[in-house]
This record gives sequence, C-alpha cells and structure tokens, in this order.
Amino acid sequence: MEKNFILAGFGGQGILLAGTILANSFMLEGKNVTWYPCYGAEMRGGTVNCEIVVSDSEVSSVHKQDTDYALVLNQQSFDKFVHRVKSGGTIISNSTLVAESRPRSDIEYVFAPMTQIANELGNSKVTNMAALGVLASVCDVVSKEYLAKGFEKVMAGKKKELLPLNIKALERGYGAHTQAK
Amino acid sequence: MAGSNEKVLIKGNYAIAQAAINAGCQCYFGYPITPQTEIGEYLSAQMPKLGRGYVCAESEIAAINMVLGAAATGVRAMTSSSSLAVALMQEALSYAASDELPIVLVNVMRVGPGLGYIYPAQGDYNQSVYGGGNGDYKIIVLAPATVQECIDFTYRAFYLAQKYRNPVILLADGLLGQMMEPAYFRENPYPEVDVSSWALTGAKNRDSRAIYSLGPDEKKQIQHIYNLFKKFEIIAENETSYEEFETEDADIILTAFGSMTRNIKAAMKVLRSKGIKAGCFRPITLSPFPNKRINELAGQGKDFLVVEMNMGQMFKDVKYSVGGQSRTGLVNRPVGEWLSVEEIVEAVENFMEKSYAASIQYS
Amino acid sequence: MQQVFSIPKSMKKDFKYTFCPGCDHGVAIRLVAELLDEMNLRENTICSTSIGCSVFLYDFLDVDCVEAPHGRACASATGVKRARPDKFVFTYQGDGDFASIGLAESMHTALRGECVSAICINNTTYGMTGGQLGPTTIMGQVTTTSPYGRNREYYGYPIRVAEQIALCDGTAYSARVALDTIPHINQAKQALKKAFEVQLQGLGFGFVEILSSCPTNWHMTPQEAHIRVKEEMIPVFPLGVYKDITTEKGE
Repeated sequence: MEKNFILAGFGGQGILLAGTILANSFMLEGKNVTWYPCYGAEMRGGTVNCEIVVSDSEVSSVHKQDTDYALVLNQQSFDKFVHRVKSGGTIISNSTLVAESRPRSDIEYVFAPMTQIANELGNSKVTNMAALGVLASVCDVVSKEYLAKGFEKVMAGKKKELLPLNIKALERGYGAHTQAK
Repeated sequence: MAGSNEKVLIKGNYAIAQAAINAGCQCYFGYPITPQTEIGEYLSAQMPKLGRGYVCAESEIAAINMVLGAAATGVRAMTSSSSLAVALMQEALSYAASDELPIVLVNVMRVGPGLGYIYPAQGDYNQSVYGGGNGDYKIIVLAPATVQECIDFTYRAFYLAQKYRNPVILLADGLLGQMMEPAYFRENPYPEVDVSSWALTGAKNRDSRAIYSLGPDEKKQIQHIYNLFKKFEIIAENETSYEEFETEDADIILTAFGSMTRNIKAAMKVLRSKGIKAGCFRPITLSPFPNKRINELAGQGKDFLVVEMNMGQMFKDVKYSVGGQSRTGLVNRPVGEWLSVEEIVEAVENFMEKSYAASIQYS
Repeated sequence: MQQVFSIPKSMKKDFKYTFCPGCDHGVAIRLVAELLDEMNLRENTICSTSIGCSVFLYDFLDVDCVEAPHGRACASATGVKRARPDKFVFTYQGDGDFASIGLAESMHTALRGECVSAICINNTTYGMTGGQLGPTTIMGQVTTTSPYGRNREYYGYPIRVAEQIALCDGTAYSARVALDTIPHINQAKQALKKAFEVQLQGLGFGFVEILSSCPTNWHMTPQEAHIRVKEEMIPVFPLGVYKDITTEKGE
C-alpha cells in the first residue's frame, strides 16, 4: 500500500499544518510517511501546497506529479490539482470557496463546506481540521482518531487550549460531504 | 533531543542542524540560501542558548573561512549552503584539505548551472567529489537518502573530519532538506577525537604551531601532496561504505546516490515481481567511491544502470569501476520530478533488450 | 657588559629574513612582537595570517598561526575568536588583502564589533606580485598596471582605510600610523597597543593602518622611500586616531 495526498489552499488556511498533522497521524500509526512542501518562490503569490506519501514499506517518490487524493481549500487549487489526480483518484474540495464542477469523468469528487463548518464553530482558522475530518471519512487509510493524536503531537506544549475546538472541527468535518462521480 | 528512541516527524534541514548540535558542533557560520536556510535559522535559535558560536556571515566565502579559523583551534565547526554558493567555497575547501582542517560542509543541492533554481537536483556530484578548488586534494563526501540518515551521517561527518583531519561534505538535496519524515536522534555513537597534537590554542608550554598550505619548498610540497593522498588511501581502506540489496543473483544492478536511492529500491521490487533479477547498489561515501565492490560485481557479469538527477556525473565513476567487464547504462534527468519507479522500470526493460555492450543513455 | 638590545621572545630565533632591504614590514612585525612580550600575550595568541608579502609571518612570529586565503584573514580571525573567546586574536594583512579582495570581510568584522585586532600594512601597491595598482595606490602613481599613473578615468580613487573602518559602529579603535621616523614608530607602537587593549577589554574591533615603504617596487632607496612616505603618502593618508571609544564621551 502506498498512497499520495496533495493538500492545497491559500496562505493562512493552515495547509502546511494540516499536512503536518496528517503526516504525524500516519507516523503514530506506525506507517512510513513523507511530507514535502512547495517552498521558496513557489509560495509567493498566495497558494500553498504539500504532498504526503504514506506507505507500508519505505516511501520511494516523495514528490510526484500525480496523486491519489487532492484536498483543495480554494478555487485556484481545485483548478490546478484536478488535473493531477490519478485516474480513479479523488479530489476533495472546500465547497464554501470552490464552485461545484466536474471537469473530468475518471475521478471521484467530494464537496464539503469546510470554511462554513469552521465559521459555524466561530473560528475560520479551523477550516483545515474540518478538511481533515472530511478526508478521514472518505479515505480508508486516514484515521480520525490518529488525526486527533497527530494534532496533539504537533501542538505539544503550545496552544493546548485550541485542542477542543480543533477536535470539534475534525468531528464536524467527518461525513459532512456529498460525493459524486 | 539526543539519545531518544522516540520518532519525530522532522525536516531534513532541522534534522541536520539538531544532529550537528548533538555531535558537538561548537560553531556554525552561514549565509541564507534556499533550500537549506532552515539549518541556519534553527542554529541561530539554539547555539546562543548553548553558549556556542553562531555568525550570520556576510557571504558564503566569509562563512567557510570562519569555519576554517574555528576548526584550526580544534573545535567542531560547520557551515551549510547550496550548490551555486558552495561553488563560492571551493577555494577554502582546497585550503582546508591542504591545511588538514576538519571542517564540515553541508550542501543541500538545488539545480544549476548558474543561478538555476531552488528545485532539488543532484548536479553537484562532480563539484563535491572532484572539487572545484585548485590542486590535488580529496574530500570525504557522504550522501544521505533519508531524514534518518541526515542525522546519522551528520554525526559521522564530524567524526571523520576530525579523525582524518580532512574536510567532509554532507551532500543532501532540496528534497531531503525540505521534506519531513519520521526519524529519531540516537546518541552520537562516535568517540571524541583527540586534537591536542595539532590544534591552535596558544603556544603555552609547547612550541608555537602554524597551520598553512604555503609550499615554497618544492621537495616538501611534493611530499605534502603524497602524504595527503596516502592519508586518503587509508580513508578509502577504512571508511568506504555502500549498501547493496539483492545483488547476489542480480543480472542488472540499479545504482543511485542520495535520495534517488529510495526510488531504485522501489523499482527493484517491481522488477523482481516481473521476474527480472534486479539488484540495487548505493554508494554511501561518494568519495572515497566504492569502486572495488562495483568492479567485483561487474566481474560477475552483472550490468549496471545508473539513475541520477544530473547529466550523468556518477555514471562516469560507475563506468570506470565496471572497467568494461559488463554494460553500464544511464537513466537520468537534469532536474524536475525525481525519476519515478515506473520510468526506472521502463528504462531497465529497454536496457535489457539491447544486446550491444555499449553504454546507452535515456533521458 | 650590559645587553641593551635583544630579539623579542615572541620572535622566532632562527628565522630567515625574507623582506626586501628597507621594507617596513620588519619594523612592523618587531613592534607586534615587542607588544606581545610586554603585554604577556604570546602564549595566549592565535594569529590569522594573510596572503601577500605578509605571508611568511609564521616564520617570524613565535605564536600559533592559521593561514587564511587571500582577503579572508578577518573571517578566519572571527572563527578563531568565536571558537576560543579567551584567546588573543589578531590579523596581519597587506592593503590588498585587507582593503581590496577582503574589504567585505574586513568591514563586516568591524561592523560586528568582533573582538579581534587587525593590522593593515599600506604601501600603496601589491608588493608580492611586483608592484601593481592596489586599492591604496595614490592618484598619479605609476605602477606596473597603471603605467601612465593612476587616474580617475581608468582606475578611480584610493580608499582611506582607517577612516572607513572608523565609521563602523563595531569599531572600538581605528588609527593610521607611519614608520618613516623614530617618533612615528613610537606612535605606531602606542596605536598597536591600544588596538590590542580594546580587544582584551572586550570593547570591539581594534584597527591600525600602517603606512609602510616598499623601496623595491617604488624603485627607490630606503631613504628615498621614507621621504615618499612623508611627502606623498601622509598628505593623502593623514596620520591620526580616527576612532577611540575609550576616550570619547558618551560612547
């Protein structure tokens, strides 16, 4: 088993942090995992992404053109990464900011109002956790329980008070989607 | 963060920086350049807390010359940089090799030539192994493939530098520098090295010492260079290291260095599942290069296919080591996405179909 | 019989003199050695040497020395000092090394207020390579690479090093001295002492520029060379203390 994830959005949506939490959740599950960010000048202009590869054996290609799952939090990221999803793969979109469209017929589309969920919880900054919740509900290899542990690990020693809200966002994201071919 | 068995998800750059601290690095001098800037950032936060030396140098040239000065006093010192800026340090590397100064230089490679860009690449094999500095000298070059090895090889780099009084390059790439992977900080396994016989500490109760490369006396200069090369023979004898996987029954051996090792190992598995007897050979020390072992394997009739992200720099060393006993091929790209498992598998299948014994290149 | 003259302890006993007759390097190095003796620094000293006529310094001085590549003596000295803050660290460089190829390192070492001392021998030319135009070559001066004399069109202007270093906030002391007369030599020793003291007191960068003769490349006798120092160099490079934070109020 080896699966690729691309997480993308604009700066401030907590994409790199979400990727770090996801990667930590895999590590805590005892899986092999790599996390690779876009970096340097690539980050200028607002969009951010990172790639996570999880595998039962040693991870080979850390950085690839195509992916099994794309988790996109804004329209630009949808437009860019919808073309990088493998045939049969899934793109999971933040329907609060991404218009529902299905430009390809060979991939799955998942839409969930991630920013709206976060806003309803009173803090748009937990959009990323809601997004991870959606991801956990549509992707077998991602575990909600380990995402929570991953969050605790990443936040160890700092901002402990943020834990309950983030866990709530994770829970609310879980299953909050519509799915279609 | 030393002596722990707990895995942490950490970036290669931070891993190297923390490992340097654990290895007893007393001084870090550096200048920012993507994709290795996190090393300097991390150490700028940690070194003052530990009462150790840190300078934001005015240039890479200044940075490495600060390292030379610090290393001359017997402390562990390092700098880090990337490709084009490592080019600026070549003069000092030549001095350090001739002065027999134990310096550690981390090169997190990006693409060149010239300014190139910040993408990862492996184009500094020649710059590291053959050097861009003047004269005859040799550098120890270690190439990690994982974040764990970034830690372990940093420990080894500091040890080898002092043990042999020779510059050591840790040759990583932007992929390793920027990626996170679970790793742990084992206790530095290497012993302390006694530097008291040569370190500059002031001429108290002993004769004064001078560390220099100036060689106006021709006979002495000849002897000095021979001595440096004899020393490197000992280094080659003791320290040449590599990894090999399933080479015993292999017909074809995939060869790569650094983070590309990951991809050839995965490709090997796919090839094996298709009934192709593939193995992997991965030099850990690029200098000294494991040419004896490659020569031995080639002598058993095994072909070599070199996979690298440059225009075929290590390929030449592998081909030289094979010595015409079997075929040597190259699959490469100068920059961009690392050659995928699928591309490598396809290249091997093509390579094996060719009956002629000449080297061929896929790109 | 009373001994009235001896070689300083900080000089090696068996050195072969490599400077040209009449060159002021010998005087400058002797002053440094005398001070290392008098200030009891020899056993605690690490010197960062340079490239140029000064390259043989470790043949003369009986102290620990590390060779820096051309221009990098101040960077190397920075490394030594950061590694061993308890050591007395100084550089001994020519004007080409300090103020041309090494200007960035020199200036930044001063700006950082690095507690090291630096000595720059200004003889208005590259001596080791046979008398080429350097950063301190004065206007009109003929050298092997300015055969029609230094002019603005081709070469631009020389640098006044002591003044420039004095502008750096990290500089504790900056002075220019000469070695053409006995009074000037005595002043030079006092300046060097001050540049050493500010390091020992942890006040910052100590710097002395020494106007020096180069009879060989100037094609002059030693006497003529010292007359040139007085008549041509000192008017362009005035002697004096350009910064001394130990005497300035409010510093």
